[in-house]
Amino acid sequence: MIKTTTILMAGIFVFSTYAAAQTQAKPDEHKHHDHQKQQTQADQHDHAHHDHSGHSMSQDTGHAVDHSKMDHSEHEHDHAVDHSTHTTQSTEHGDMHHHHHMDHGDHIMDHEGTMIMGQNLDKLPSSCKSISEEVEITVRAGRKYSRNFPGTAFAFDQQQWRVKPCAKVTFHFMNEDNIRHQFMMHGLPKYLYKYGMFHLEVTGPKTVSGTIIVPGGDDTFLVHCDISHHMEKGMKAQLVVGNGGTDIPSIPGLTPYNRIDTYEAENLPKLSDKEEQSKMVRQITQFTSNNFQTYGMMLIGILLGLLCIPLIKKIPFPKKKVEQPTPPPSRY
Amino acid sequence: MPIRIFITLLAFCSIALTAAAQAASKLPETVKVNPSALTAEPMCDPIISPAWREAQEIDGVKIDASPVCSPDNPAWIAAAVKGTNNISMDTLMKTGLSPDAIIKTDDLDGDGDPDRIVIKLEIMELNGKSPDFPGIVPTFDIAPGVQPGAWVFAPKTSGMSTENFESVRANPLLRLPSPVIRVEVGDIVQIVLENTHYLPHSIHLHGVDHPFMHHEHGGQDGVPQTSEMELMPGERRIYQFQARQPGTMFYHCHVQTHTHLAMGLAGMIIVEENRPNNWLQTLNIGAGHVRHPSVAVKEQYDQEYDLHYHAMDKELGEIIQKYNDPRLIARDMNRRYDITDATEDYYTLNGLSFPYTLRESLIIVEPDQKIKLRMLNSGGELIAIHTHGHHATITHYDGVEHNPVAQIMRDVFDMAPAQRLDLKLETVNDGKHSYGEGDWLIHDHREKGITTNGMAEGGSMSSIVYKSYLTENGMPKVSHFGIDLNKYFTKEYYERRLPEWQDLDEWSSLGSPGERSGLDDATETSLIYTAAGLLIGLLIYWIFSIRERIAQSSSSLVSRFKSPKGSKQ
Repeated sequence: MIKTTTILMAGIFVFSTYAAAQTQAKPDEHKHHDHQKQQTQADQHDHAHHDHSGHSMSQDTGHAVDHSKMDHSEHEHDHAVDHSTHTTQSTEHGDMHHHHHMDHGDHIMDHEGTMIMGQNLDKLPSSCKSISEEVEITVRAGRKYSRNFPGTAFAFDQQQWRVKPCAKVTFHFMNEDNIRHQFMMHGLPKYLYKYGMFHLEVTGPKTVSGTIIVPGGDDTFLVHCDISHHMEKGMKAQLVVGNGGTDIPSIPGLTPYNRIDTYEAENLPKLSDKEEQSKMVRQITQFTSNNFQTYGMMLIGILLGLLCIPLIKKIPFPKKKVEQPTPPPSRY
Repeated sequence: MPIRIFITLLAFCSIALTAAAQAASKLPETVKVNPSALTAEPMCDPIISPAWREAQEIDGVKIDASPVCSPDNPAWIAAAVKGTNNISMDTLMKTGLSPDAIIKTDDLDGDGDPDRIVIKLEIMELNGKSPDFPGIVPTFDIAPGVQPGAWVFAPKTSGMSTENFESVRANPLLRLPSPVIRVEVGDIVQIVLENTHYLPHSIHLHGVDHPFMHHEHGGQDGVPQTSEMELMPGERRIYQFQARQPGTMFYHCHVQTHTHLAMGLAGMIIVEENRPNNWLQTLNIGAGHVRHPSVAVKEQYDQEYDLHYHAMDKELGEIIQKYNDPRLIARDMNRRYDITDATEDYYTLNGLSFPYTLRESLIIVEPDQKIKLRMLNSGGELIAIHTHGHHATITHYDGVEHNPVAQIMRDVFDMAPAQRLDLKLETVNDGKHSYGEGDWLIHDHREKGITTNGMAEGGSMSSIVYKSYLTENGMPKVSHFGIDLNKYFTKEYYERRLPEWQDLDEWSSLGSPGERSGLDDATETSLIYTAAGLLIGLLIYWIFSIRERIAQSSSSLVSRFKSPKGSKQ
């Protein structure tokens, strides 16, 4: 009884592992879409909302061109770009000598290329009546976070964040590498966000912060770094609003890859190879001790043989006995 | 009954045979490719504004005219001359450069130009595999539809790596070749390498006077076996130097050089002579025409061109299109790719192959000009550049001036890998310097150098074009010869699907033959034999079926013969 159960359990275990591997290797057909497609879907979704309340939308656009809002965002900018964490400044001459600050309301950039684009502090999406919650999310970015995901080179510290619909979310984007990284979100309603994008960019180690108000429906938004092959090599995540929409594919450790590379084991040198090699060397050099070992093994063999004698004796040889009494009957 | 079948079959076979014989007397018709079936590209890239060709002044920077089809973005030139820290925000936004990409400060020698130069370079991948869709990203075509996997040093950019979110085409700043860097003798130059790539890299300043070791920034030679560790992804390293000698030099990645250099991590670096008020065009993105030459060059020349010759192996570039996992890319690049078994497939001039070289790498001249050509060969083999219609003088080898009295004129310039030559091209119509005006080819005379993956016309071929032979849109004027260059601006041409000579005459005498109607020879022969066999078989069967009658008649015949005999008896 116990035996059967164990076998059954083992069988189930093996099958489930196989099934899990299968889902990893062959992503569901429904999930097999590129993110671009998903973005259009998301857009359409939000446009549908916007059509229902055309009036509030025009109000929002009014806000977008309203220059009185500039003061507000400029203030936010001072808070957003944190200069204190920039440690390498001293070694690079020149950086201190110039000042470039651009502020086009929804596009703020400083002299080092730290950028906040598509920030939205107060324009309510048409699908929201009020702000549901105010959340602050710290996002860390860097090569070190790729450590948990073999086969990637860059990553965010988390691959998924959850907020309520209509939440006002402030992202503190901490770039911990010494290069540029981006926190780029796509698929936001285009009447509030230019190109449907919210974008933070900073050369590390440094932090930049920006705020958005997420739409009122359940949806999932792609977050990535758009520097060539940073997303492809792991810097990809998703923001889940409410119950979320369709998962974004190929987020490390979270969603299956659409296309997986072919892997095969390499013939790499192993410690056991070395042991085998040294064994061979020993065989040649330490002849006597080697012989001793051989003789020892032979002794064990003899003992085993002796032990087995009674067993061999017990083996009946009925066939022979049957065959023996059947010599060809003599005709003579 | 059987005899009727036999006769029918015989008749059918004879008809089939005559038809086959007739078909064999006529060869298949020519199938002409309809031009509208091709994915034709406009000769000039529509993205590039024709206004960029004109001579202009931006933020006080004088920019020479460049009448080619795809001239450099003038905002790039303004930013490169003044530094991204000294130009207006409006100009900066037109460049796509990061505000700290080129920082120019401190006139240390008081001669009217900045002497502290910081150049920030990132490393970008072009045409690499995506785990999300069965394509490559960001795309960069060296010729129509030709997208080899490549890596480049790119000026530090701001924003996306693609043109926009809807496009997979690379941001115009991310391109082959790595940009040409220009600095002045005595400048304190920092090249800040920010390794945005997923593999380790470095910079080696080949030919540039640089210290082996810097007290603050460590090893400066870029070699992981002698001076420093590989620069890992996400890290930054500063290469600082103050060059004492001018010349046309070379910079490249020295990590796994046998693959990284060919992948595109190689560019020209030029140290210009020190002159007062010498605001240099620190970066010549995409190489080619220098639209803001240095003071020293302007003293002697009317124009200056940077010509970067490079070669790439298709199979090497395919590694980054086959795998996304950096470990697999490293495995194939470092341990499986064998350069000693490899062959170069793509030959480029300033990152592009013909016909795209016509868009931006034409050398546009007028009679009686002196033009400085700076050439680098970053390919793996010796090249032999031939200037049709001209003999040019070699003034410098590897950045060092050749003894002026010993300088020689040639029309084939052989360049070993990593070698640089400075040429003085004089458009004096004396039968030696120049044979007169025209659209004169300039090409690698190893014939594979004019192919793209073995398909001619391609490779690093370009032209020295006199203005009288230039169309308004910046293409060489060739239509009066009946030449149509449009066929080269289709990807089908480089897919080897467009018969090169189909339009040479009205009836396409050298076009592509269609399939032969009817059966091919082998099938026809075997069918004839089968039919013959069938006939013979039927004949035998027929004979067999009437054997009794034969026997009867023969016996009656025999008896008839016999009976008279018998009667005789």
